[in-house]
Amino acid sequence: MQEKPNIVLISVDSLRANHLGCYQYPLPTSPHIDKLACQGVLCENMFAPGIPTQPSHTTIFTGQHPVTHGVVAHGGKARLTRGSPFLPEILFEEGYTTCAVDTLFRERIWFGRGYEYIIDPSLRHMFYASVTQEELNDRAIHWIKTVPKGPFFLFIHYWDVHYPYVPPERMRGLFYDGNNPTDPNNHELDEWWQHPIGAMARDTWLRSSDGLIRDPKYVTALYDREIRYLDEGIAALEAALEQQGMAENTIVWLLADHGESMTDHRICYDHYGLYDCTVRVPTIVRWPAGKLRAGSRLAPFRQLLDVAPTLLEATGSLIPEEMEGRSFLQQMQGQEEPSGYDRVIGLESTWQAKYYLRNSRYKFILARQPDMLGNPDRELYDLAADPGEDHNLAAEQPRLAAGMEAELEAWLAEKLQALGKTHDPVKEEGAVAESIWAGHRS
Amino acid sequence: MEQKPRKEASEDMVVPKPPETPPSQDPAPVMRPEDEAVVAERLRELGYIE
Repeated sequence: MQEKPNIVLISVDSLRANHLGCYQYPLPTSPHIDKLACQGVLCENMFAPGIPTQPSHTTIFTGQHPVTHGVVAHGGKARLTRGSPFLPEILFEEGYTTCAVDTLFRERIWFGRGYEYIIDPSLRHMFYASVTQEELNDRAIHWIKTVPKGPFFLFIHYWDVHYPYVPPERMRGLFYDGNNPTDPNNHELDEWWQHPIGAMARDTWLRSSDGLIRDPKYVTALYDREIRYLDEGIAALEAALEQQGMAENTIVWLLADHGESMTDHRICYDHYGLYDCTVRVPTIVRWPAGKLRAGSRLAPFRQLLDVAPTLLEATGSLIPEEMEGRSFLQQMQGQEEPSGYDRVIGLESTWQAKYYLRNSRYKFILARQPDMLGNPDRELYDLAADPGEDHNLAAEQPRLAAGMEAELEAWLAEKLQALGKTHDPVKEEGAVAESIWAGHRS
Repeated sequence: MEQKPRKEASEDMVVPKPPETPPSQDPAPVMRPEDEAVVAERLRELGYIE
């Protein structure tokens, strides 16, 4: 057996943790992912410190917080500098053959750093996120079968669970117990049509031969069917590793860059808002030869910036000091007691310009500018009593809210000073997509 | 904060059959290439795609 493990890093864009069986979802959306979780380690509290896709993936690969690498938005001005470490680049230098089956480099050039092979079947689509797991797997499995000898790093980025939710015909009939998805008297999604992403859905993928789909329960069922379809793809990829005799010494790391709001908090079928449905992400790691404590669940807080340092430790590579994340490999191996962060601070700057501070009991959300939904600038939730984050306590508990706000601002000021930066990146970028949309309307 | 072993044995896991809705009540959306083009254009306008 080769000394260094292979790595298959699977990112499922927009996969909400609590829509998976292994994260207590009651519907059977994910039998194969659940099986993977039984064979590996599951992180119950992994958080994205930056959303959506581009900030989050930049954090995954750099091991840095978005305030550090500066990429806080889609369509923002910031560009990743060469000074930031980048996981595939480091692994390539360590002798790995590196491959991305992915589209991200087309959006931002730094996502191509360090890859000897980049395979992008989404070129066959008008919209890149319409690429299917079958198309990605077809290329990825072929690559696995033909990869040169020696350890490899394969990054595969699935888009099935990202909108548009258009699962294949064989998923038809699953997960919906309503009566009429196209009932013209159902107005539950009318507010969504006013948002540009909702209007886009109404004008395209929510049209059917029976009329416009109007029942949010049905749209949620479509999302769940996409998970079920994706789950088949994970099984196929696993089977290919098994057939090639690679499963034993391959780290399979499945994660999401962010979750997805269904209709939570009036955010429909999208991934903005710093609520747990979007910032708490699934993470499952399997590595038989690495003696991970199979079937265990790690409860402490972790962040996506821990992914790269953990993988580097597993490969015996030095972890660059510029990486801010911490390896938790030895916790997964049962050699260290589980521990993690006391708090997580994260941000978004695409549809909203906000920060969050979350500890084991409370979450505080601070807006840098008013949001388009008319939410208050300060939100405070007691996650023990209100896990759905429905009851804003900021006005009822002003001292607690002020204390968490001060803690957040102190962290940010200290971080900016350490980085030699003078501007808050979220203030600087603002809500980028919202601003562009407002510009189109005016 | 503890590490909890799971009880179930993965090898014995049976893939459950999901509940089904009669197809007559299920309009199943279809994404045509022209719809994809609209989505791509709208997201380009919003700065998602360069």
